[in-house]
Amino acid sequence: MNDETRDETHDGAHDEAHDDGTRVRGLWRQGLEVFVDNRLALVGVGIFVLLAAFSFLGPLFHDSDQVHTDLASVYLSPGTAGHPLGTDGVGYDQLGRLMLGGQTSIVVGLAAGLLATVVGTVWGAIAGFAGGWVDAVMMRVVDAMMSIPALFLFMLMAAIVTPTVPMLIVIIGAFAWLGPARLVRGEALTLRTREYVLAMRGMGGTGGRAVRRHIIPNAIGTVIVNATFQIADAILYVAYLSFLGLGVPPPAANWGGMLSDGLSDTFSGHWWLLYPPGIAIILIVLAFNFIGDGLRDVFEVRLRRR
Amino acid sequence: MGTRIRIACGVAVVGLSLTACGGTTGNSSQQGGSQGKDTATVAFRTPNWILPISAPGFTQGENDIFSTALYRKLYSYKLDGSSPDNIDPRRSLAEAPAVSDGGRTLTITLKDNTWSDGKPITTKDIQFWWDLVTTNKDKWASYRPGGFPDNIEEFKVKDDKTFSFTTKKAYNTAWFIGNQLNRIVPLPQHAWDKGDPKTTFAALTTAAKDPKSYATDPLWKVGSGPWKLEKYVPNGEVVLAKQDTYSGPDKPSLNKVVLRPFTGDDSEFNVLRAGQIDYGYIPPANLSQKSYLESKGYTISPWYGWSITYLQLNYNNPKTGPLFKQPYLRQALQMLIDQPTISKVIWGGMASPTCGPVPSKGEGCAYSFDPEKARQLLEANGWKVTPDGQTTCEDAAKCGEGVEKGAPLAFTVTSQSGFTATSKMFAEIKSQMAKVGVQLTIKEVPDSVAVTPACKPDESKCSWDMSFFGSQGSWYYPAFASGERLFQTGAPVNLGSYSNPEADKLIDRAQFSSDASALQEYNAFLAKDLPVLWMPNPVYQISAYKSGLQGVDPQDPMNLMYFQDWSWKS
Repeated sequence: MNDETRDETHDGAHDEAHDDGTRVRGLWRQGLEVFVDNRLALVGVGIFVLLAAFSFLGPLFHDSDQVHTDLASVYLSPGTAGHPLGTDGVGYDQLGRLMLGGQTSIVVGLAAGLLATVVGTVWGAIAGFAGGWVDAVMMRVVDAMMSIPALFLFMLMAAIVTPTVPMLIVIIGAFAWLGPARLVRGEALTLRTREYVLAMRGMGGTGGRAVRRHIIPNAIGTVIVNATFQIADAILYVAYLSFLGLGVPPPAANWGGMLSDGLSDTFSGHWWLLYPPGIAIILIVLAFNFIGDGLRDVFEVRLRRR
Repeated sequence: MGTRIRIACGVAVVGLSLTACGGTTGNSSQQGGSQGKDTATVAFRTPNWILPISAPGFTQGENDIFSTALYRKLYSYKLDGSSPDNIDPRRSLAEAPAVSDGGRTLTITLKDNTWSDGKPITTKDIQFWWDLVTTNKDKWASYRPGGFPDNIEEFKVKDDKTFSFTTKKAYNTAWFIGNQLNRIVPLPQHAWDKGDPKTTFAALTTAAKDPKSYATDPLWKVGSGPWKLEKYVPNGEVVLAKQDTYSGPDKPSLNKVVLRPFTGDDSEFNVLRAGQIDYGYIPPANLSQKSYLESKGYTISPWYGWSITYLQLNYNNPKTGPLFKQPYLRQALQMLIDQPTISKVIWGGMASPTCGPVPSKGEGCAYSFDPEKARQLLEANGWKVTPDGQTTCEDAAKCGEGVEKGAPLAFTVTSQSGFTATSKMFAEIKSQMAKVGVQLTIKEVPDSVAVTPACKPDESKCSWDMSFFGSQGSWYYPAFASGERLFQTGAPVNLGSYSNPEADKLIDRAQFSSDASALQEYNAFLAKDLPVLWMPNPVYQISAYKSGLQGVDPQDPMNLMYFQDWSWKS
């Protein structure tokens, strides 16, 4: 993030402090203080770090075969030697599967959420800054796509193509950018009338430069906060799709698919197939929401101590 | 944020709370109050076609059961091997056909039966049916060009009780009885005939398309079955009442049967769990609740269908078709499918191995599960097997015609979504295939048949490799399980375009030869030749009925229901 950006975000005008490194460090420190003041945000960060470590580092400590099924070892109870969380209906170790599932859910969630945020931000910024018929056309596209239930579109796409991790990222990202686009477009409509933008245009600056150097950087607070929610939503979308049987095919796993499979085993007393992925989904979505709340506080100038 | 948190919880908490709701077992009082009742309530989709001449778009199984309850078929069948040509002598309206003229003429004599209004069932009613279907065959769902009635040279009525069919060429009698005469349903000529078959058929069809009048229209009051229609609510409940004037030997014991539809499997199962229906079914996903239902006083009975289940291979796929055409490769792939274990563990015992095109008990399959043998077979035929990697063709001369050096053994199977057991089954098969380097990609779609049609190699729709649509059985046969519709070159349901002159010859023999062993020879050949990969064959339905209800078992493998056999234990 460049100096100019922080400065403009802070008070909406250029001033002489834009090259002042001390001032920037001060802003970061202030932001961090505000974030730390929000205990739930810290809890969110903690949960995310723990879940990410569990998913990505866990396999280093708990080795399990997540490629080959073992029909001789299905539905082993938690505590069985080598299977602390038992096994599922085809003999996969449930703890190892939870780690593997976490990798998919986190990777797809992060990547799709970020993809949606980037696409939505660029789209919204261009539409809002350009205004006129460009804005009208671009936003009608957004409105038209928003009028179709996202889940329906995801299901349709997942039914047409074979769901893989990259494909899920693209599918979810391709439809989840609509929210950020509207949000950023609203910001851009306000920002484009600011004096510093008008001054830059008056000095011969191009529209592209205005969007790149002023509109997007000044909307970054909104964008970052929204990104956390986009990530949470993307993780849920993966869960929805998998719950409907349209997730990544085996031996890949994700928490939503595991929850779906676990639900069908609900009545047979195989609770270890249901609770762990369910709790993991709740925790990670809550974590991102808490982080998003904390970041919102950070970018809310009024909450900063002066 | 509150909304998001609620959404977040939605996916998981619903599932978790269901556990709490559903996991309690064994503490409910047993529902034992059924004894002494004269009514049975059955989970049953509302039938929407009453006319016993099937119409395109109205061929659902419930229509056949409904129609058969009101109008008896000329022949009923039972597949327990107790009677010649599988004819059920008790339920059939006619004696077994007398065959003459080198197998071309079948003479049929009607038994003494009456319509519900007391009029006798005679050959006039057969003639009436014949006239209707021959003049309106394009509107008859059972019609196939070249099939019945096109294959009949002469239909002749001899007297009130006797008629005959002379076919254009000699058929296997068992095939003709099981797969052609099964379509004949005597219709009440005296009540329905308006003179001209076209006019009459149009009037009957119009009336059949008006379900709200089913219970009131005088047209449907004259029947030959053990039941009459007392109440009919379109898309709702249907009540069948005992037909007091029924002339058949299998007179109903119950006074009423209430057919109750449900919006879906879950709603049906919830009502079943609450003990509010006498006969229902357990959705496959809820099979684990078998013991709970048993504790509630239900008997759980797998309903085995006269069916087979298979994985269709696309021989016309320009890329993978040449691979599938190699018999050794099909054998190797078949050896990687552990049918007995999958049937037992994944399907919970509610499936049995398919060994060939003719339904069997699933014992003595030609290719048993043997990954080591599969590996050896591949290596002997020029493949470089890379366990958990990608097996490729190393020696094109050995790999077979059309297979290039370096070609990978990698396939995509298009399967059905929404079936947990199917998903698990393919996870297991994928795992076993990976052990010999065969890469299987699983693609689940709601309707796998629709996206894997029969095709020509140059068509874009021909890119599918393997297709599975057998979560509830791939194919249900009529009484005679011949393969002219499935595995003959160019057959209508030969989706993978399998073609083998020897198989065609044997299929023809099964259909036309009088040799009783022709069907066994056909079965033995195709069981080994593997036109498809044989897969565990799931039961048609896992039925659950109140333990006091008698006569439900054995359930008809041809998927009909005979409510007249049911009674409550006194």
